[in-house]
Amino acid sequence: MTATIRQPGLLQESDAVQDLDADLSQDRAEAESAILSSADWRRPSVRYGLGIAHGVLLAGLIIIGLGPLLWLAKSAVSPTNDTLTSPMSLFPHGFAWNNLHQAWFDVRIGRYFWNTVLLAFGSWLSQIVVATTGGYALSVLRPRYAKLISALLLVTLFVPSVVLLVPLYIEIVHPPLLSHSFVDSYWAVWLPAGASAFNVVLVQRFFDNLPREIFEAARMDGAGGFRMFTSIVLPMSRPILGVVSVFAVLASWKDFLWPLLVLTNPDEQPLSVRLPSIQAQTELGVFLASLFIATLVPIIGFLFFQRSFLRGNGLGGALKG
Amino acid sequence: MADVQYVDAVRRYPGTPAAAVDRLSLDVADGEFMVLVGPSGSGKSTALRMVAGLEDVNSGSIHIGGDDVTLTPPKDRDIAMVFQNYALYPHMSVAENMGFALKLKGVSRSERMAKVREAAAMLDLVPYLERKPKALSGGQRQRVAMGRAIVREPSVFLMDEPLSNLDAKLRVETRANIAALQARLGTTTIYVTHDQVEAMTMGHRVAVLRDGLLQQVDVPRNLYDRPANAFVAGFIGSPSMNLRTATVVPGGAQLAGVTVALDPAVVVAADGLERIILGIRPESFQASTDGSGFPLRVSLVEELGADAFVYGSLPGDEPLTDKPFVVRFDGRTSPRVGDLIHVLLRDGEQHAFHCETGARLG
Repeated sequence: MTATIRQPGLLQESDAVQDLDADLSQDRAEAESAILSSADWRRPSVRYGLGIAHGVLLAGLIIIGLGPLLWLAKSAVSPTNDTLTSPMSLFPHGFAWNNLHQAWFDVRIGRYFWNTVLLAFGSWLSQIVVATTGGYALSVLRPRYAKLISALLLVTLFVPSVVLLVPLYIEIVHPPLLSHSFVDSYWAVWLPAGASAFNVVLVQRFFDNLPREIFEAARMDGAGGFRMFTSIVLPMSRPILGVVSVFAVLASWKDFLWPLLVLTNPDEQPLSVRLPSIQAQTELGVFLASLFIATLVPIIGFLFFQRSFLRGNGLGGALKG
Repeated sequence: MADVQYVDAVRRYPGTPAAAVDRLSLDVADGEFMVLVGPSGSGKSTALRMVAGLEDVNSGSIHIGGDDVTLTPPKDRDIAMVFQNYALYPHMSVAENMGFALKLKGVSRSERMAKVREAAAMLDLVPYLERKPKALSGGQRQRVAMGRAIVREPSVFLMDEPLSNLDAKLRVETRANIAALQARLGTTTIYVTHDQVEAMTMGHRVAVLRDGLLQQVDVPRNLYDRPANAFVAGFIGSPSMNLRTATVVPGGAQLAGVTVALDPAVVVAADGLERIILGIRPESFQASTDGSGFPLRVSLVEELGADAFVYGSLPGDEPLTDKPFVVRFDGRTSPRVGDLIHVLLRDGEQHAFHCETGARLG
């Protein structure tokens, strides 16, 4: 931030000073956003009392939240005997890296892993497409009957998904207008995933809060409905797309019942379906290694998505000063 | 370059009894800077948005450059609009914001960049072309919004209170700059504001609206000197004109015991009326030394340096309904609060309005 010598121009002001102000006020806002100010922290009762409370809370969270995952990581590379005799020991007696190799190739976790990725990607895509186009139609394009559709959408949220299981299955076995069944094809998972009223409502609410003036500006600039969607609305919606994506991928990764019903061929089944069924014939160490692989990927994925998506900085500077 | 015409244009929002814009007929000449001014709810923004195509026209029509565009979509009207809140695209850089319309028109990248650079140079935005709007100050964002309109080289600029989000000092600066820019480009401009100072300083002509009805359209000088009705008289000018009901007497009108001589034409027009509304601007007075003139009980003195505005009440004022009577004084000889002073009206500087319709007499 350096003060520059300004050329005499048609419109000008003290830009550098204003930039500096904006930066300072942002820093200040971050520093003072906590409930306790730095002055509060100087009081001994606050410092020791809260310090201890924070420490206990943190330790508890680590043990409860991270503990099982770390145990799984340890057991995945421990010999089976070791896990059976002293499951709670901190360090394994020798490493069995072979567990991971066996899980990936012999138990074919790699194959099921790939199936899961495919299923998750397809489900994600269909959910994103339906949620954004649906939300765009209801929130931005707003046909006359949009209110009615919104109301109907909300109504479907009150129907428990278990109730829908049988009719949905029949639908998949005898799809309307098509002669062949979707069973054993990934479409059986992808298509129903898109039919999520929750996502549409979520995205619609987000679009409702985008400033109308921007859409009007885009219309004046000559953007049609499709261009407005792709060039204006979607780029401004990254925060909500991130939320929907995380929900979609996690839900699809964890889903057990529906893939079990519609994917009968073991070669096509995802991890969530295969893992319980291989448990009986697999050595414990190898099985734990399989579980570890199946768990690790969504965690890494989530951390990655969180960084790139969930930061709600999409709208800064759109309106006034 | 094009002229703009409203022909009996009406905009009625569903569910409201009164029209937001009621049978508006207004001609904006080619290259003219027309300001629409009025209090909030007067329909000025709606009138502007009707030209933009963002608002339906329920009856009547809008013409740009002689073509009826009432049913034309916004993008085919060859207009550009500057929004009150700027409405910049937050995910695009300044250059992309400014070039977006050209990109949609299919203008080649190099030509686009050239035009963006040219407009940016005009607005002193060249160092910021790669920044996102959120990294700009309010004034810079305002200029980007202007730049986005300029780049398109439209035949009409529409501006909807573009200065209302700037601080006072920057607003005065930018006001002059926009007027200069418009003069340089010579583009027909319709500018909406609620600020009568902006209207008076920027407009070639000013149209005053109230409750969707056009009150008067004229050059700023005439608007000030010959307001068409009591509303315009009170709206234009700061502090506003003093408006008081006065009793008609032969050859004049009587207010607070003082008889004001009226022009023969006004006397003729007021024939048959018992009372008229007398309007006198704060600067139309001079201090009286001999106790003649309007007696004024001072309740507030606003010192502005060169001038002082003295607020007070005349005998017979209703304390609850009548606004304070304002008189401009020289800043160094202003009276004190509580004083009873006398002020003389300079000859012929009064305005007379019909006491019911508010229309100008004479």
